[in-house]
Amino acid sequence: MKILIIEDEKELSESIATYLKSEDYLCETASDFKTAINKTETFDYDCILLDITLPDGNGLEILNNLKANNKMDGVLIISAKNALDDKVTALKSGADDYLAKPFHLSELSARIAAIIRRKNFEGSNIVKFNDISIDTQAKQVSVNGKPFDLTKKEYELLLYFVTNKRRVISKNAIAEHLWGDDMSGNNDFIYTHIKNLRKKLFTTNGSDYIRSVYGMGYKFTDA
Amino acid sequence: MKLLVKYNRVNIITTVIVLLLSGLAYYFTIRYVLIGQLDDDLKVEEQEIVDYVSKNGKLPDPSSYKDQQVSYEEVNGLPVKRKFSSNKAFSKDEGEEITSRQIVFPIIVAGKNFTVVISKSEEATEDLIQLILSLTLAIVVLLLTVLFIFNRFMLNKLWRPFNTTLTELKQFNLSSNRTLRLEQTNVNEFSDLNEAVSVMSNRVNQDYHTLKTFTENASHEMQTPLAIINSKLDVLIQDEAVTESQMKQLQGIYDALDRLSNLNASLLLLTKIENKQFTERTPIQLDELVKQKLAMFEELTESKKLHLSIAAEPVTIEYDPHLTDILVSNLLNNAIRYTEAEGEINVSIKNSILSVSNTSMIPRLEKEMVFQRFYRHSATNPDGNGLGLSIVKQICDLGGYAVDYEYKDGQHCFSVRFKSTGI
Repeated sequence: MKILIIEDEKELSESIATYLKSEDYLCETASDFKTAINKTETFDYDCILLDITLPDGNGLEILNNLKANNKMDGVLIISAKNALDDKVTALKSGADDYLAKPFHLSELSARIAAIIRRKNFEGSNIVKFNDISIDTQAKQVSVNGKPFDLTKKEYELLLYFVTNKRRVISKNAIAEHLWGDDMSGNNDFIYTHIKNLRKKLFTTNGSDYIRSVYGMGYKFTDA
Repeated sequence: MKLLVKYNRVNIITTVIVLLLSGLAYYFTIRYVLIGQLDDDLKVEEQEIVDYVSKNGKLPDPSSYKDQQVSYEEVNGLPVKRKFSSNKAFSKDEGEEITSRQIVFPIIVAGKNFTVVISKSEEATEDLIQLILSLTLAIVVLLLTVLFIFNRFMLNKLWRPFNTTLTELKQFNLSSNRTLRLEQTNVNEFSDLNEAVSVMSNRVNQDYHTLKTFTENASHEMQTPLAIINSKLDVLIQDEAVTESQMKQLQGIYDALDRLSNLNASLLLLTKIENKQFTERTPIQLDELVKQKLAMFEELTESKKLHLSIAAEPVTIEYDPHLTDILVSNLLNNAIRYTEAEGEINVSIKNSILSVSNTSMIPRLEKEMVFQRFYRHSATNPDGNGLGLSIVKQICDLGGYAVDYEYKDGQHCFSVRFKSTGI
């Protein structure tokens, strides 16, 4: 999977690349408009992370250029302007998703995974982790081929974990993913959901994938 | 007191006083002149009698005309002194008292002392004076009427540019960003005023605009460094070598970062509301929205074991859906945050009024302060950013909804009076 990160803040694109590489993504970066246009015109990417505000041009033009050339690359807009009309314009211009700065890398990773799943023409809406298989279209989970019953929050939590597998996700990131901005500052009761999910998984197949990391976050891993 | 009234008062009093004084001056001057004339006439008569006496050696026959009487009297003592005087006497002809001017002078005829009295009626003079006085009075009345009409219509017209400017200034609102519509005038004072006012308002508008742009830009500029810190932390916690105590430090950074991001997002939202960037108007089923939000907060309310009651009449409002969402969220979030464990929250919608009341450990809040930015009661945890209620107020102001705070029966009650679309 090839990803292009178009972002003029080198520190940010570096972190993103580091995080995504561990997910076996191939990451390239472009820090200005010209490089970005060159790269998008020459290569195909599974997903392009696009910062709208670039020092020498507007990111939306890159998006328009892509669409004009009938490129099928998935596009995820990352913008410092969390403006509604910005979001609407971006999505209307053919972007697949929009993420406002600041964001958690686990959130970014989950969004990229979702875009790639949707773009994938082999019709694979199934996300697998060992014996767990998640059908993202039907929003159903099966373990060892048997249906596995989860609440809506538990489903979201499991999908989030699996798309960020083997990496530590902070409680803050989980809370924001599950409840959005409305309940920020209240990440105490994610514990309940994690405990329930963990118990369900354990009683179904006896495996314990969720590991707490020093009370700061969780890691979904089989190692 | 209105300037016009004050001006009129001074003006009219002065005018009346001046007119009355000039009336008096007229009266006395004219009287003096006319009496002088009468006296001259009397002197001519006197001269005639003196001439007659020295020529004929006897007095002429006493005569009595309508306006002139001559009479003689022989005196035995000292001769009278010559003098002029005005006397009142009853006239049989006129049937009323009339004033006459008379001269009394001594004359010696054939060695005998006589007193001659010549009197002339002052009636003509009086008539003239009366006429002049009536004329003066008429002028006073006319002048007052003219002044009144002038003030009423002319002054109002003259002052109109000033009044227009005043009305415009009263309606001046920074956030509306409307330029003042001032009236063109050729009165120097008013055009000077207008110029000063428009220069001032332009400068104020410009400063305000600069400030708003600054706030928005500052918030935007902060997003990127925040994103960098966040991403670095997300990468850092992947490191297996990070110890538990280091993780605790990192958690502290995460939490502070969350608060900062929240604060920044709220400030940005406030700026956007002020800049009127939310213009969408769609019908919203308010009661449904409230129930939906409460369901979202269910985990929170359950974990705090709050007693929740809701009584919502169906009501549809027309407003920006994003803002309405935030409005309802903030009100509920605020109530949940500040209610003590096992406390009580009552949500009701009645007659288009949404009210959220809750019990709390916090005593009555100051009504004037409660919607101010960064206001926080000293007894509260500093985990909220202190902007939630200001955002509520700002959203209500934009929509023209009245928002109110009350403390009653141990409950904090926030209410918003929406305008129902009547559906």
